[in-house]
Amino acid sequence: MPGGDPAARAAALSGADPARLEHIRRIADSALSYLSLEDALSELLDRIRSALEADTAAILLLDEDRNVLLARAARGLEEEVRQGVQVPLHRGFAGRVAAENRPIVIEDMSHADVVNPILRQRGIRSMLGVPLRIEGRVIGVMHIGTLHQRIFNDADTTLLQLAADRAALAIDDGRLTEQRSVTEIMQRTLLPEALPEVPGVRFSAKYLPAGTGFGVGGDWYDIFHLANGKLAFVIGDVVGRGVLAASVMAEVRTALRAYLVEGHDLGDTMALLNDLLVSMGRHRGATAAVLALDLEAQELELVLAGHPPPVVVAPNGEPSFLEAPAGIPIGIVAGEEYEPVRRPLPAGSALLLYTDGLIERPGEPLEACMDRVLAAARSRSHELPLAEHIYTELVHGDALEDDLALLAIELVGLGHSIEMRLEANPMVLTRMRRTLGRWLLGEGLSEEERFSVVLAASEAAGNAVEHAYGARDATFALSCTREGDLVRVKVRDSGRWRESQPHGRGRGLTIMRALVDDVEVVRGAKGTTVTLTKRIASDAQ
Amino acid sequence: MTGVEVQLRAEIPVARPQSDIDGATARQIRDGLARLVEDGADSIVLDLSDTPYVDSAGIDMLFRLSERLRQRRAVLYVVIPDEAPLRRLAQIVGLERAVSVHPTVEAALASAAPASDQPGAAPS
Repeated sequence: MPGGDPAARAAALSGADPARLEHIRRIADSALSYLSLEDALSELLDRIRSALEADTAAILLLDEDRNVLLARAARGLEEEVRQGVQVPLHRGFAGRVAAENRPIVIEDMSHADVVNPILRQRGIRSMLGVPLRIEGRVIGVMHIGTLHQRIFNDADTTLLQLAADRAALAIDDGRLTEQRSVTEIMQRTLLPEALPEVPGVRFSAKYLPAGTGFGVGGDWYDIFHLANGKLAFVIGDVVGRGVLAASVMAEVRTALRAYLVEGHDLGDTMALLNDLLVSMGRHRGATAAVLALDLEAQELELVLAGHPPPVVVAPNGEPSFLEAPAGIPIGIVAGEEYEPVRRPLPAGSALLLYTDGLIERPGEPLEACMDRVLAAARSRSHELPLAEHIYTELVHGDALEDDLALLAIELVGLGHSIEMRLEANPMVLTRMRRTLGRWLLGEGLSEEERFSVVLAASEAAGNAVEHAYGARDATFALSCTREGDLVRVKVRDSGRWRESQPHGRGRGLTIMRALVDDVEVVRGAKGTTVTLTKRIASDAQ
Repeated sequence: MTGVEVQLRAEIPVARPQSDIDGATARQIRDGLARLVEDGADSIVLDLSDTPYVDSAGIDMLFRLSERLRQRRAVLYVVIPDEAPLRRLAQIVGLERAVSVHPTVEAALASAAPASDQPGAAPS
């Protein structure tokens, strides 16, 4: 039962008076925790007022930045809250209770130093005030008052302190919940809403807040497409927890994305980010791993800044940690340089990015934890996405001491057909060409054949994008199939085919006709479908 | 971001696109190249050796840019290796009618060197 000890203490002081015991029970009542903070405080003030036969009861909270007490809740003195009464620390009755961190009794208000005019207007004669404390730190004051003169005794003080302790807990709880919900909302909006859809690649991710304390820390991950057709993956960890760590994480994440999308290479991106963080004077370091994956070349580029190395699972299922220069965390030393390295990532491989929550377990040596990660990666099954598998093997059910972010990328390969739905935006064309090129490579087409099909498809897609010009949320569909020695690519949009224009698109049709064996354009009420067919000369399969 | 990475070779700017040239990037690349002319270059080499794809929007940009440079008495040289699939595209659209196309950067530079004396030197 919350407040059990103070209740016992109060009971001892109050002697055997059964009415007192009932008051104590009502103040310690755990049912109060089910009320909203507002209702719980009002109810508590009513109960203490009736227990101590007082006319007024109020709670003031300390604003530590301005060193003033602000009226938070009141009974019998409601105007105190409505008028937003402020009492400077050290001054007046409440100011002294807070500054001196002890109960204070005023028997006759007419001789006392009172700052708050409402107390006088109300005609209060005697007062008793006690500090509200959390872990010994004063967060406010609770006081009661009577309209007739009264002498408060030790038992009264103890009972009021019990109520104040109860109120302090409720207020602190409320603050924690408030901060937790702010950071959780922030975190949720900062993690990618959905993982991208890339044919032949399976993504999985997990974000797990630590089991204790503030719900959120500075861990994040990110996935996005780069203009050069590569896929960028980021995982990182800003030192600390709570709102500040989350807000620094937001800045780092956005800046990192901006540098990469603008075309800086991995090393420059990390160096720029480092200088930015140092110059912002946040005094918060961060670790990060940034990777760029070229699916066509089956090559990975990565740069580390004090972040533990990602795990790569080879096509034969054997996991290892990617070797790369460790780098120092960003945000600490200005002018630091970061050296990216390239590693092959053949079809069938998988990558696991994680934050240190995965490899740091209290009481376990780092080596053992890292071995456990490798063992978990080795035992992966293809049914379960890798991040889910790692979570199930290593985390499930444990109360985490630290946040944990996991991001896994598995190159599962393309089947004998691909279907993609893409936004009608020229920015998607590079990605579409790379994916199609990868599929055609898997189908055994020669370089020249691949070039022809990809470029013809790109022209058809360019047209679809142009059709959708100005339309919101427009998409087009690409489907590719193989039938014997024929490769067929269909591009369907919901716009109208535009007849040859003086430049560009008119040339587009010429290019398509020259590169593939058949170009069919079907214009319907609901859109245009372009079907490209290419006969593959090589007997590849 | 300029869309092109530029190196000076024998005082001639050699520009390499940092992406495919398509509807999304053509304009940026055109601006990057046009700036070189504004900065005083009368020959520009556009090296497409490592550019996998140029689509019709990219081709359109090259035709227009070449015309624009001609009006400023500057010449655009384009490098496409003989074995590159992009050669096929250049033939289909007749790129060589408007632009001087060479198989290597060296060949383009050799062709460009005397071009300062005789603008519009014949394609190799």
